[in-house]
Amino acid sequence: METRVRRVLLTAAALLALPGCATIQHWRNHRAEVRAAREEMRAEAAQAQSSPSGTSGEVPPPAVRPEVERQGARAPKIKSSNFEIGAHFGVISIEDFGSHPTYGVDFAYHVTEDFFLRAELGRATAGRTSFETLGGNIQLLTEGERKFTYYDLGVGYNFLPGEAFLGRRHAMTSSFYVLAGVGGTQFGGDKKFTVNLGGGYQVLPLDWLAVRIGIEDHLFQTNLLGAEKLTNNLEAILGTTVFF
Amino acid sequence: MRRAPICLLLLLSLALAPALSHARARAHVRAYVQAPYLELHTGPGRGYPVFNVVPRGQSVEILFRRTNWLKVRTPRGVEGWASDRDMMQTTLSDGSPLDLHIGTRAGYTSHRFELGAFAGVWGGASLISAYGSLSFNSQLALEGSVGEFFGRYSNGVTADIGLSHVIVPQWRLSPFLMLGVGLVHTEPKATLVQPSNRSEQTAYVGGGVRYYLTRSCFVRAEYKTHVVFTKLDRNEVEDEWKLGFGVFF
Repeated sequence: METRVRRVLLTAAALLALPGCATIQHWRNHRAEVRAAREEMRAEAAQAQSSPSGTSGEVPPPAVRPEVERQGARAPKIKSSNFEIGAHFGVISIEDFGSHPTYGVDFAYHVTEDFFLRAELGRATAGRTSFETLGGNIQLLTEGERKFTYYDLGVGYNFLPGEAFLGRRHAMTSSFYVLAGVGGTQFGGDKKFTVNLGGGYQVLPLDWLAVRIGIEDHLFQTNLLGAEKLTNNLEAILGTTVFF
Repeated sequence: MRRAPICLLLLLSLALAPALSHARARAHVRAYVQAPYLELHTGPGRGYPVFNVVPRGQSVEILFRRTNWLKVRTPRGVEGWASDRDMMQTTLSDGSPLDLHIGTRAGYTSHRFELGAFAGVWGGASLISAYGSLSFNSQLALEGSVGEFFGRYSNGVTADIGLSHVIVPQWRLSPFLMLGVGLVHTEPKATLVQPSNRSEQTAYVGGGVRYYLTRSCFVRAEYKTHVVFTKLDRNEVEDEWKLGFGVFF
């Protein structure tokens, strides 16, 4: 059954890829296509602009419309600053292993004013479980296995944007955010699939500098202490990032 | 271990360097207002209040752009944020319209690069994955993806490269097919009898759909069936399902 499904899929893929392959000779034309589409958009914008806008009649139409061929001037580059890179520090409560300092790095790309994609890598060192403390000489994990390393990729959403004021002169843009992501956690000699949920508040004291406080939960299933269970590893952080 | 915080600091200072260069004076693009007026908001968002307007005929300097907003400065030195849709109504000094390449449906149909991230399942194990693609035309693209899976009995990483073919690129919800080869590196967990790591070649065929959301953003869901060429007598088949976000450039 499975093989038949695969064979059907393969045949379909081959058949449907054929017209795409047939256009391989147009690879070079593709750029031209994209350029033409842009030109068209530009022309439309120019047309929209040359058509009378509104009935205010503030500015009379020019008496002479110069019909000079434009010398393919290249549009100057406008600097974009949609990427963010930075670090965070805080405290993480590793379930059964106590609360410990954590630090990490963040990288984000802002797609729209509302949504952003974010990657994060962090590290903490777990302590001893109460079982180990009470049991005397028992060691559940080696020192190396106590390193708690997490990384994830996620989507964030900015909500309730606003401004925070510092005295009379300074206003900083601010917003709350929530994020959800997936990733991995290396802990106790194993790697676990991890779901990451979080939220926080962020202010931008300067256009290129952001400071945020947040809470994140790293959820993963583990059987380190015998029975398989879902662990919540809550983290409170203070982070700073720069836009570029 | 001690080195990690130092590396972090170094990384941060490296990141700070370009930002600090903001302070340096640089030539900015100047745009001339052609609409009756250009509204300036106090922040880069639709909800921020309009605090200033630039009348037709006047110019603004474009300092930089963040998502769908541009920070501009008027000749009087007032700085504010204008939306990219409003800025599309302005012109450059030679009269040509300002081209901002905002993500549109036309761009979704025909673009050069894609990047995206997924969550899913690989052979019964949880998967995180990322991909990038280079389009030859609006239908055919070369794609590469990497992933990491976390299973009950083994963990591992996958990497593959192949071709994808969008059947009708102009549809908002558009199906596509994929064909390619890859590698899978599996690390069985130590509790099993056969704990040696192994790397194997794979070949896959698959299909999926992508759905245009807004700007340059889309959702992508896909299924691949991988044939893993093992060193044993028979090959294995692994299914991969995933759902994620993508952006195009």
